[in-house]
Amino acid sequence: MIEIKNVTKKYGSKKALDDVSFKIEDGDIFAFIGHNGAGKTTLIKAIMGIHDFDEGDILINGKSIKTDPISCKKIMAFVPDNPEMYENMKAIDYINFICDMYDVDEETRTNNIMKYAKLFAMDDKLNDPINSYSHGMKQKTVLIAALAHNPEILIMDEPFVGLDPKAVFDIKEVLNEMVKAGKTIFYSTHILDVAEKLCSKVGIIKNGKLIKVGTMKDIKGDKSLEKVFIELEETK
Amino acid sequence: MKKIISLIKACMTSEMSLFKINLKHKSRISKIMIILFLCFAFMSMTASYSSMMLEKLAPFDMQYVVLSLFVFVISIFTFIEGIYKSGSLLFNCKDDQLLLSLPIKKSTVLFIRIFKFYVFELMFNSLFFVPLMVCYMIYTKVTASFIITSIVMLLLLPIIPIVLSCIIGTIITWLSGKFRFKNFAQIFITAIFLLGVFYLSFNIDSFIANIAQKAASVNELITKIYYPAGAYAKLAVDFHISDLLLFIVINLLIFIICIFGLSAFYFKINSNIKRVTTGSHKAIKKQNIKKHSQTRALVFKEFNTFFKIPVFIINAGWGIILFLIAAFAMCFKYDSFLKILTTSGVELGSIYQNVPLLVVLIVAVASFTTSITSSMISLEGRNYAIVKSLPVSSKRVLLSKVLAACLLTIPALLIGVFALAIKFKIDFITVLLIIGLTILMPLVSHFSGLIINLKFPKLQFDSPTEVVKQSISTFAALLFDFIVLIAMGYLLFKFADKSLNVMLLILTFIMGLIDFVLYLYLVKRGTRLFEDLTL
Repeated sequence: MIEIKNVTKKYGSKKALDDVSFKIEDGDIFAFIGHNGAGKTTLIKAIMGIHDFDEGDILINGKSIKTDPISCKKIMAFVPDNPEMYENMKAIDYINFICDMYDVDEETRTNNIMKYAKLFAMDDKLNDPINSYSHGMKQKTVLIAALAHNPEILIMDEPFVGLDPKAVFDIKEVLNEMVKAGKTIFYSTHILDVAEKLCSKVGIIKNGKLIKVGTMKDIKGDKSLEKVFIELEETK
Repeated sequence: MKKIISLIKACMTSEMSLFKINLKHKSRISKIMIILFLCFAFMSMTASYSSMMLEKLAPFDMQYVVLSLFVFVISIFTFIEGIYKSGSLLFNCKDDQLLLSLPIKKSTVLFIRIFKFYVFELMFNSLFFVPLMVCYMIYTKVTASFIITSIVMLLLLPIIPIVLSCIIGTIITWLSGKFRFKNFAQIFITAIFLLGVFYLSFNIDSFIANIAQKAASVNELITKIYYPAGAYAKLAVDFHISDLLLFIVINLLIFIICIFGLSAFYFKINSNIKRVTTGSHKAIKKQNIKKHSQTRALVFKEFNTFFKIPVFIINAGWGIILFLIAAFAMCFKYDSFLKILTTSGVELGSIYQNVPLLVVLIVAVASFTTSITSSMISLEGRNYAIVKSLPVSSKRVLLSKVLAACLLTIPALLIGVFALAIKFKIDFITVLLIIGLTILMPLVSHFSGLIINLKFPKLQFDSPTEVVKQSISTFAALLFDFIVLIAMGYLLFKFADKSLNVMLLILTFIMGLIDFVLYLYLVKRGTRLFEDLTL
């Protein structure tokens, strides 16, 4: 469970996040949407403990990311918007490195790496250096590394960008499988039709303020998510 | 022209952002203060050296010799540094894709790259050249023409060394592009070039002696070796506008020819070096997947970064390689070593007595000229977010970096120390103390380097060379190490009346204390700095 309590983050005098509060329960797939620069990545980085925030708190399964970051991070996995990785490494070494950080035993990591490498058609490519990869292959590598340690909470920043249709389909299958197992997924996206079909909950952020949050059904009603989003964007 | 100015402005944004003074930010003010202090420290050192020489030469009215000598030395430094910097500054830069997609001439792209290199060298050269100018003006009656000549000289000073090093850098990159393992080939070829330069500079005596016989004065001698140095001194003493114009034209022509000449090969070499070894497309096996401790994984990540960046290896490894060469030369060329010392007036008895001190001194020089950690934080680049998102404490991340640096330096230093200890039959207690210092001295450099890099991170860069060779962090670390080295020399001098082992014990204690203080600072304040890191 992720609980965001009155989080405010300032860059100088500008509020990148302004008193944001909401809760994501176990088994939810939460889509976080907003225009460019609305504060999506800022909140994601705050949840992951990548940067600090000025006010409020973020609780991961009841533990604060501020006071107990290691315990919180241990159960989360992060997929950034731009798959920046240690480019000089081989992909398999990078995944092994991430698994070492999460203290994953050899059997679990072997099973998971083999499983996801095969699923994303990367099993014959993981021995190659990352700097030879395309954007999509890097994104798949980051996903394999994130899934290899069986996270309870998966945080993703625009995960579908640059992926081929088959990979998008496979990720959706993996996410559904995770949700069935009671895991929590939080991701930001601009692809609203995927979010509409995939997610149980949605939050819309505008200029650092959370303007709508709730179940997908409640937020969109009879309209499409795209229409709701555009209407909210156009209102001042 | 407008296009070129916009390009230069865009390409140098990150470098110049530091100089934007915003008094509202305390951290920026303190950064600017430290930069000013660094500049002041470098300039004071140059000023004291130049005034010392000018004072000695003033009675003979030969102050101009200092001008040519300084220009010569600064140019040599720029050239040697440039040899291993130019390859990575010109080729395979992160903004290649952007620049090459723009509707601009290929030579303009190369010009931007070399200009960026030039601006940095200009700033660096100013630290040495401006104090020289001021001291010269104190010791000599000068006219306005001297100031004009000096400003022109300062602006032109980096050109010839940069052009030469860019040509060599291009050759090295072209040659290494022909190999499967380009990085190792680049390191190997650069090392050969550098060793060649060092060999030539040590064996240049007969060449210089030959010129000296024909040269009427020291100034003429330097002029014959390096034209700009002599030309500057000549203009300072006997100003002629025609000479100045000729001097400007020669330098600019060299620069223009270099741009157009290199741009004929630049893009072919650049695209060739981008070819990546893609491996064998072998499917992963269970043997590829192994579990390691967090610390080991973090240390190996640092090794991976170190060994995949040629400029990092050459820059950081140079001190260690020279130390090993010196140590083994002392062991195997023992007689020549003794001969050099005895012919310079040192008594044989005192040589044996002072060998342990000499060992400590060369270990100290190797340790304090090998700042690996001062670029380790910066080299994380945009990956800093990955490390910060991992369930591992900042303390462990930082100490792993120090441990990696220790593993890269201390074993090599210990090998040299053991070889010297066996050859010179140094007694057991003294050897133990030297070993202690061999561990504690690099630690000082590694702890301080990391702290300085946390204070001055440069997470955005187009080439790792900008971080390893041209960042404030590496300069500050270099200065800090230099100060420690000087302080150590002072302590050795101060306690010269004490017995050898007591002296070494005092040094060991002081180094241990510095390490402890730096460790505490790193763990308490450094971890906070790491957590606050942001792009």
